[in-house]
Amino acid sequence: MRNLFVFIRKNYFILLFLVLEALSLGLFFNFNEFQNTAVYDLTSTFTGGINRTFRNISEYLTLRSTNQTLVEELAKLHSQLPKAYYSSDAHSFYRNDTIYQLQYRYISAKVISNTTNRRNNFLMISKGSLQGVRNHMGVIIGNRIVGQVVSVSPHFSWIISMLNKDSKISGKFKKNNQLVNVEWSGGSYRYGSIREIPKHVDMKKGDTIITSGNSDIFPEGVLVGTISEFTVAPDENFNYGTILFSTDFNSLGYVEIVLDLMRKEKEDLKATFKSE
Amino acid sequence: MTTSRVIVNNFLRFFVLIALQVLVLNNIYLGGFSNPYLYVYFILLIPYEVPGAFLLILAFITGAGVDIFTNTLGLHTSACLAMGYARPHVIRMISSGPDSLIGDSPSLKNQGLKWFLYYSLSLILIHHFVLFFLEAFRFTEFFTTFLRVVMSSVFTLLLVLICEYLFYPKEK
Repeated sequence: MRNLFVFIRKNYFILLFLVLEALSLGLFFNFNEFQNTAVYDLTSTFTGGINRTFRNISEYLTLRSTNQTLVEELAKLHSQLPKAYYSSDAHSFYRNDTIYQLQYRYISAKVISNTTNRRNNFLMISKGSLQGVRNHMGVIIGNRIVGQVVSVSPHFSWIISMLNKDSKISGKFKKNNQLVNVEWSGGSYRYGSIREIPKHVDMKKGDTIITSGNSDIFPEGVLVGTISEFTVAPDENFNYGTILFSTDFNSLGYVEIVLDLMRKEKEDLKATFKSE
Repeated sequence: MTTSRVIVNNFLRFFVLIALQVLVLNNIYLGGFSNPYLYVYFILLIPYEVPGAFLLILAFITGAGVDIFTNTLGLHTSACLAMGYARPHVIRMISSGPDSLIGDSPSLKNQGLKWFLYYSLSLILIHHFVLFFLEAFRFTEFFTTFLRVVMSSVFTLLLVLICEYLFYPKEK
């Protein structure tokens, strides 16, 4: 027993180091699972306030570009109003609810914190469970992808950005519907990588990649990016390439959360199949 | 310098550096690659007399302070601990003896440029190495991550040297 104490006293520096390092690595790996929101809730009330104040200040610096995006959005929406269409007969337009049933609703939210320079990037936004945000909802900005909700508190949500090693989305070529996987392999926030492109797909620079709608997170047809370069690998089963993201992740001021009103129906359908 | 003065100075430096890090420096990066982590300057400047256990606890608190703001719990803490653990060993390796250490804490003015460069660069490299590799956590991106470590270390070292020249100028 005495020897143990002598040993501890002699080596207390390395022992304390090992204990503390184990503690912090434990925190790191547990927190990385996203589901562990307890610590996050505890700290976000405090740090969220400080980040928000600072964000309010820096928002002034990006007012011009935020305005630009909003004006563009407005113009797009205006062009979709009934007024923008030529109507020869007022009675020839009517809305049939059984055919056009509302499937997606969009909640707009302000970005409170955002990073693009780490290997794993996240965003915090100003809407939470009180406004109807739930886990695994898709996040877009003007029909371009941003990320996915991974954790929700009453007033804030935590978004895993497309710029994260755990983000992998199912996309497809706009021209021929061929499925591809889109990832981000670090480096510049403007470029992502696409993998598993079947050999027979004929790609060109500038081809548009959109979301496939297979994952229940994003609606079909949200813009992901355009192909900037690609490699035909003769000895491998698939080709791969690089895409230029349509989203400028570094200038996000406002985002929209996609609320799929039929998601529960889809999930229930899958669940009934599993239970049988 | 009196002991209380040293404590107050370090206390203030801690808060200023962490605020600077989370509010300003975390938003700065060159080419999407290198990102300065100047807050390690606090650990570099902890006085020599601080006992090992307390040094580790200070490193832990520093890392945790940055982690709370960046929502990367444990990441900066692990890196700072590795740095805190290495600090006494690095000092012992590069100095000729305890008598060659002048003043309360490591400084460019007292120890000379060569000593200070060896000292800060090796500790910054250790910190950044742990930080970036833990963050990426895969070896398939080894060279990209390694490049980030080197570029960011150089960036951080530059800022540390600028701070040294600004706040502790050589007397003429």
